[in-house]
Amino acid sequence: MENVSQFDLNTALRQWLEQLGQSPQIKAENLKELESHIRDSVVRLQSKGLSSEESFLIAIRTVGSVGKLEPEFAKVNRSPWNMIIHGVILAFFSAACWILWALLLVPRMFERMLSDPPPVPAFTRLLIGCSPFLAVPPLLALVYCLYALSKKSDVRPSWMRFLAATVGAILLLAFPIIVAVLLHFVEWIYPDPFAGN
Amino acid sequence: MLTKELVAASTVPLVLSVLTEGENYGYALIQRVRELSGGKIEWTEGMLYPVLHWMEKEDLIESEWRDAETGRKRKYYRLRKEGRTALREEKQQWMSVHETLASLWKTSLSLT
Repeated sequence: MENVSQFDLNTALRQWLEQLGQSPQIKAENLKELESHIRDSVVRLQSKGLSSEESFLIAIRTVGSVGKLEPEFAKVNRSPWNMIIHGVILAFFSAACWILWALLLVPRMFERMLSDPPPVPAFTRLLIGCSPFLAVPPLLALVYCLYALSKKSDVRPSWMRFLAATVGAILLLAFPIIVAVLLHFVEWIYPDPFAGN
Repeated sequence: MLTKELVAASTVPLVLSVLTEGENYGYALIQRVRELSGGKIEWTEGMLYPVLHWMEKEDLIESEWRDAETGRKRKYYRLRKEGRTALREEKQQWMSVHETLASLWKTSLSLT
């Protein structure tokens, strides 16, 4: 008797490719090549006397599961995005450093706006004096990005590491700067009652 | 059967060596390696393609989609000059490992 459930190789192959294609790591060209591979494999297995369904099942098993293939394709396909994200993080990091630098201009602006300006606390003056050094972290980050770019794509460090480092740096820099600016406000709102006496 | 680590380390020199015989496509490359190794080198077949694409990015090989005799299209890979240079280096390294092990095993055999 004939096989009741008719097996159609093209349909089965299309379904398999669709499943694989859901992974963003596997590009259309990769799928085309894998399809060509499966078809070659099926032809060879059929020539050994297997049915097309058996051949197809063996072919997809030897090619490997989605879970196995995906990370390998991700390694070769990820590189441009990894560097683009590095660039975006670098831009945000530089902007954040610039904002911190601009924040340190506030006490001086206050001095000019008010007729009777409060004294600028020593800590605030110290940080204002150091503010040109805020150009250093973005420059270091730029050097790091160039170093990452010089690495071969398969050993290139992931953008996650860079993001973690820059966020950490921003938090460390922002804390003393915000304290310094607030200190100046405190001088203005609650002036030292003994000052000048 | 080779260990996973050895398979990973030997894929690039194997592909480069098979391509010195002339251009070829993925499926036939795998068959050739299986045949030459007497079935001892079994790749998870799909894993070869990311390696081929990596080798292409590194300019070791180049590829082209062409009509095959079956009427379907196949992606053929060809060795580049950089690939030949890389293969020479690989050869030296594998030979030095091979020679060291061979001489060590010869000595230990004569001692026993």
